[in-house]
Amino acid sequence: MQIFITGYGVISSIGLNVEENYNSLKNSKSGIKLTESTVFKNYKVANIQYSNEELATMFKLQTKGSRTAILGMIAAKEAFKDHELSSEIRTGLISGTSVGGMDLTENLYKDYLKGNLRADEYKHHPSGVSTIEIAKELGLEDCFLNTISTACSSAANAIMQGARLIKNNVLDRVIVGGTDALTEFTFNGFRSLMIFDEEWCRPFDNTRNGLNLGEGAGYIVLESEKSLKLSKSKAIGVLSGWNSSSDAYHQTASSPEGYGAILSMTGAIEMSGLGINEINYVNAHGTSTPNNDLSESHALKTVFENDVPPFSSTKSYTGHTLAASGGIEAVFALLAINNGVLYPNLNFSEVITETQLTPQLLFEENKIIKHVLSNSFGFGGNNSSILISGLN
Amino acid sequence: MSELKEQLKAQIIEQLNLENLTPADIKNDMPLFGEELGLDSIDALEFIVLLEQNYGLKITNPSEGKDIFFSVDSLAAFIEKNKA
Amino acid sequence: MYYIHAISSISHQQTFDLEFIHNDLQKLTPESPLLVPEFIDILPPTALRRLSAILKISLTTALKCLNESAFDGIVVGTGLGCLQDTEKFLVTINNTTSDVLSPTAFIQSTHNTIGGQISLFLKNHAYNMTHTQNALSFEISLLDGITLLNEGKNNILVGAADEKIPFLELLNEDLIKTDYPFTSIATFFNLKKEKSDRNVLVKDVLVLANSKKDINEVILRFLEKNQCDPTNLTKVYHSDLEISLSTEKVNYLDFTGYNYAASALAFHIGVSELSEIPGTILIVNSLVKKDLGLILIERC
Repeated sequence: MQIFITGYGVISSIGLNVEENYNSLKNSKSGIKLTESTVFKNYKVANIQYSNEELATMFKLQTKGSRTAILGMIAAKEAFKDHELSSEIRTGLISGTSVGGMDLTENLYKDYLKGNLRADEYKHHPSGVSTIEIAKELGLEDCFLNTISTACSSAANAIMQGARLIKNNVLDRVIVGGTDALTEFTFNGFRSLMIFDEEWCRPFDNTRNGLNLGEGAGYIVLESEKSLKLSKSKAIGVLSGWNSSSDAYHQTASSPEGYGAILSMTGAIEMSGLGINEINYVNAHGTSTPNNDLSESHALKTVFENDVPPFSSTKSYTGHTLAASGGIEAVFALLAINNGVLYPNLNFSEVITETQLTPQLLFEENKIIKHVLSNSFGFGGNNSSILISGLN
Repeated sequence: MSELKEQLKAQIIEQLNLENLTPADIKNDMPLFGEELGLDSIDALEFIVLLEQNYGLKITNPSEGKDIFFSVDSLAAFIEKNKA
Repeated sequence: MYYIHAISSISHQQTFDLEFIHNDLQKLTPESPLLVPEFIDILPPTALRRLSAILKISLTTALKCLNESAFDGIVVGTGLGCLQDTEKFLVTINNTTSDVLSPTAFIQSTHNTIGGQISLFLKNHAYNMTHTQNALSFEISLLDGITLLNEGKNNILVGAADEKIPFLELLNEDLIKTDYPFTSIATFFNLKKEKSDRNVLVKDVLVLANSKKDINEVILRFLEKNQCDPTNLTKVYHSDLEISLSTEKVNYLDFTGYNYAASALAFHIGVSELSEIPGTILIVNSLVKKDLGLILIERC
């Protein structure tokens, strides 16, 4: 049974929709920058330069919610814009998020710790509520809703979950992806882990010294063949493989040899029935931390038997958007396939001593890109890979 | 110096939640990241917090910490050396 | 068929390490404490000093469900996740003036810390998933477990956990509005295709969100789909709802308290009951209005 992809939507620091994101990718325009906000100190971040109110007005949102929910509504609506709800098509929403309504909760706590509690505002806090808010904006009722929270692999896992529920005949069509707002909570969290680079992140570079944090949302629409017949949607790709495995090595670090990553990449490729030489591009997790990129490089070399296909980390454009990254990068994978392009890995100059891998360095057009592997690895050891293919 | 070491042991126990230990259980030259205490890289980050909050000493790159956090002896030596 | 093997809960009832938990349930009061075993006998030193309550009770109950082979999947549902560490880090952010912040609470604040700790402890490399859909998190996790069995996997760990922190009690009346005491719960169990000694199986599970439908109509259709005559139902456990079935009805919130994982503990109570006497039990969860979870369990 094939899982068709029939829509995509994205919002990130490099664009408010699919087209803007694609143009930034094409023009090597990164969204990572120093901001005027004192919250982020001297660290560069990849934030979206509009307030919640501005976004709600620009996109005519009817539903109130946290920033996580607002970003999710915008991208999910774009993904679903050519679709209609129908009682004949069981349609669900599965969204990944790691912070949920934390952008509101952290302000609420500031006042609460000074003795002033606004209890009612906590209603946006639970991650599941952000998904309900997105569902309301889409007009989804009486349906299957779910939120996945596996840190940075959340959206990739949401995509996988959706495909599995279609295969198991629980759903016919499902909007899947993820959303995360940039919050003080996560900013300070990653700062406490001492894995920020004060400069622009340099994934897979020998001098890489940490990540830049971003925000955004990315969703795709999955449909069964039966749903496709009823909806008459145009398929733009298929989800041909997926796998989620556990590294079980450390609370935050990846195993040096990338064991979990090897399992997830191999699992996704095996499921698709493709050979390793048929993968045309790997959108790497590539956070630019010393640990992830070395571990992922080793894993890539193992999985592809030292003949690694073109790969890059688009986090050099969007920053690390945490739970949203797998959704945003799934959209980028579809764009690579449908436009026949490869994206550069920005800011790279020197190969990692141990692994000697050079990522894709230029934006290249007129390529035949049929199969793209996309990696998302979350701390806690949740490693996921999805494989997106063009239509035959 | 020995006063500093006793103080450090108490601070380590508090910062790392080593509730079942007393300062006497931590020997001055005992490897902190050895088998006895079972500390890991998350604890190393907590050591950085401990040094900054109690002694005003900054370590910006976690990999610098390896030699400094080796034992109570090495921690005390680092603090003595860098005291303003 | 989806059979329930080992099952374990820690709650404010006597539930841990007991073969049957349904006979001695007490109506909870706000003073009923969380009844925990001696963790020092079960958990390693690093876990003892570092893990918050939700992580300790989850890991402890999960370890009770081990069998001779490694799990093919670990599925965790949690509505609010690791609240204690989340709050701790929020306080750290607000109170720390120096440049460096203690990272441990942040690391353990993410929802997937529960599943991550289980996989790390067991060195388990299999599928590891964390679902968080408010009070439906357990039902969704159970559905994921069933889906894994349908996909050909066999030995699955499924569970749900949520913890109480004093902050939640401050929200009562303004936001939550409940007459039941807030509690902490962890329930984990082993789901397999093979029969277990207790011979209790999950017949079906239904998840319906953002719904305006009449609960009683949904229940009737669900029973009909499963060819279950309402008159053959042994008992209905529900989250303080008006259920129109004439079957014996029990409001499980009296025993579980207010908790997003309450239906997981109700599930354990039902499994315990069926392990003693054959029958069919329906668990109806609409703790959060507009959301509905139905679970049908059975022993022939």
